[in-house]
Amino acid sequence: MESSSNEFLRGTLKTIVLKMLAERGRMYGYEITQSVKERTQGQIALTFGALYPVLHKLEQEGMLLTESEEVDGRLRKYYSLTPQGTETAERKVSEFERFVEAMRSLLKPQPKLTVGH
Amino acid sequence: MQTLTQHQVDILRNHLLLNGSDPFLLDELLDHLACEVEYYVWLGLPFEKALEHVQHNTDRQTVSQLNKTYYQELTTQSDNQLRVDTLDDIVFENRNKAYGAYDLRQMYPKVMRNALFLTLGLFLMLMGLMGGVSKGNWSYASRWGVMWIVGLCTTAYGGGNWYLQSVRQKYMIRE
Repeated sequence: MESSSNEFLRGTLKTIVLKMLAERGRMYGYEITQSVKERTQGQIALTFGALYPVLHKLEQEGMLLTESEEVDGRLRKYYSLTPQGTETAERKVSEFERFVEAMRSLLKPQPKLTVGH
Repeated sequence: MQTLTQHQVDILRNHLLLNGSDPFLLDELLDHLACEVEYYVWLGLPFEKALEHVQHNTDRQTVSQLNKTYYQELTTQSDNQLRVDTLDDIVFENRNKAYGAYDLRQMYPKVMRNALFLTLGLFLMLMGLMGGVSKGNWSYASRWGVMWIVGLCTTAYGGGNWYLQSVRQKYMIRE
């Protein structure tokens, strides 16, 4: 999936990040991109340019907690969900599931209704 | 997995700084890139090749694009912030405030006011003095005497304010 998928990704990035954090608890930025890549067999590759603005935005909205730790001589920032974040993650995921359902029924080839006149 | 040495991390940090990375994001981006380099090294690439590859993906354009998205994402939401921001804050939003121009702009109205008081006060004092001398006898109750006193007060006010401001600036005391 190339540039066209970016368009789809933009609206779902928050959902993806929240979902990953809800599953794994505590992650850092690179870890998120890697596990998304693994889970989707490389179909969805989050760039750092898209990821970090979203992470900081979510933090600003009070969805995420951050902890900085020194690992291998450099600072690593870990993110985890706040109670509000957990709630939002659940809501976003179920909303998105409904959306995917709706899209699926849109994409399904419809038998042409040619009722004879 | 092999970890990068401090020197190798520094190379990456310099690369990010040279390409205009925002200080808010620097540490995180650095960790991100370091992880990427480590991953490529683990795959079998020599460090130089891995570094080259990662640096190629984080050129100036990518970083400035990131900064732009970052500011868009994080500033649009806060309407309250907009009301607090002065014109100077808006002008300097993505610029280096520590360089000095921001402070100069912030202080400009106060500096202007003090200078005006000082000029006016000194002028009144001079007028009062000259008037008094030409008249021959000195009395504070006369027109020239009053002019002298008013001038003295104005000069003292302007000078005092100016002194206070320079002390504040010297010790970086925020009002």
